Amino acid sequence: MSQGRLPITGSVPRRPRAVGRTVSIALAAMMVLLIGAIGGYVLAKAQGLNRPAPDSVDIGFLQDMSIHHEQAVDMATRARSASADPGVRRLAFDIETGQIAQIGRMQGWLELWQAPVQPISRAYMSWMDQGGGHQGSGHGVSMEAMPGMASSEELGRLRTATGAQLDVLFLQLMKRHHEGALPMLRYASQRATRPEVRNLATQMLRAQSSEVELLRELLAERG
Amino acid sequence: MTDQEKQDNQDRAPSWKVIAGLTVLLVVSAGGFGYAYFADRTEAPEDPALAAFVPSPSNPDPSRQIPGVQVVDFPNRTHIKPGERVVYTFRPPIGGSHDRTWATCTGVVYERPVRSENVVHSLEHGAVWIAYDPRRVDGESRASLATRVDGRPYTLLSPVPDLDVPVALQSWGHQLKLDDPNDQRLDQFLTALRQNPNTHPEVGATCRVDADEFDPQNPPPYEAPPATGQIGTLGVRGENDAREERPETEEGEG
Repeated sequence: MSQGRLPITGSVPRRPRAVGRTVSIALAAMMVLLIGAIGGYVLAKAQGLNRPAPDSVDIGFLQDMSIHHEQAVDMATRARSASADPGVRRLAFDIETGQIAQIGRMQGWLELWQAPVQPISRAYMSWMDQGGGHQGSGHGVSMEAMPGMASSEELGRLRTATGAQLDVLFLQLMKRHHEGALPMLRYASQRATRPEVRNLATQMLRAQSSEVELLRELLAERG
Repeated sequence: MTDQEKQDNQDRAPSWKVIAGLTVLLVVSAGGFGYAYFADRTEAPEDPALAAFVPSPSNPDPSRQIPGVQVVDFPNRTHIKPGERVVYTFRPPIGGSHDRTWATCTGVVYERPVRSENVVHSLEHGAVWIAYDPRRVDGESRASLATRVDGRPYTLLSPVPDLDVPVALQSWGHQLKLDDPNDQRLDQFLTALRQNPNTHPEVGATCRVDADEFDPQNPPPYEAPPATGQIGTLGVRGENDAREERPETEEGEG
């Protein structure tokens, strides 16, 4: 055996073995470094850095729905303080308090995930453009204003209206506002990555769907 | 070295097969790691240029990175009585004593100048106030400011007479003056300070006001600020006035 190998080692004496050993040590050292890097990376991911990406459905939904909710609370506050109708006041109080609490949750998560509490430069609902090939949801949803939002002119009218005029205007604006939110809620309830976001969107979807029915009834009662 | 030692050395020398195997393993795993790392990286923020201005535990006040931002602290402040005025150091003011009622800041674009004492209270609630000089900012440039405010919670826009610059941005304890309404620092200021829980005193306080208390379509009008020399005269307060009902000596005597 050794007899057979000698001529070979003889033609490349000693140095290749030394080089081979050095290369092995270097490779082993690099392996150790790589394992360390992977370990650190996994650890960092595990420790809270697994927050949703800034362009995720989660962040986009929480930012946009916070703004959508703010206006609903705005309108509900007006109706709760100015309406004389107990049924309208009760619903307004329900929406006002419920949505303020939901805004708090959404803003808290955004803060925790170190995302801006409001979108800065993107169009509203751009997060609903994700996932190409999904029919009917990927075109033209990004926009200047979200569906269902009241214009500042409409908000102004709500601020000055009184009596039955106020009640009907509030119910109409809130019905449209709720209906406008439904596609966003449905999308987030299916596509958000974080379970708590999907869960909140699902609950909002149920609550607002049934409130749309209630608003319809209240409007019908008032002509 | 004996023949036997040479033989041992030769046996311990790593085979090129092992080296080749290790190299392949290293390249494959480094490639995998590199891919995972950079795939993560490419989850680009909405606007990468603004990502550095999002408040975080390690960077509680990112506005300090914005060139030209002035930062001051207002440790003492009080609610003034209706009709009282405050002499503010900053123009437009950025903090200190203020009216009991805050100006509606639910993304309101004010057509006319608004009373400063009310707007300072909005800043205390976390709003950003964009003030502009109506002589130099109108038409298109005013419209571009309005799109950043209209319908945006915790934001308000109003003209301010005799402003020394075209645009002035106010947040509680923070001010940035701009010559150009399209200056990129405007979005940086909004990102860093609007509702920043580390920089304004009343986290979670609302921007809504009952219409009979403050009507955004008919707000209390702007009045020229009183002169500094008037502090202490009837109805004029300093911006750092402590509550006058509770003098500092009272607690010590108890």
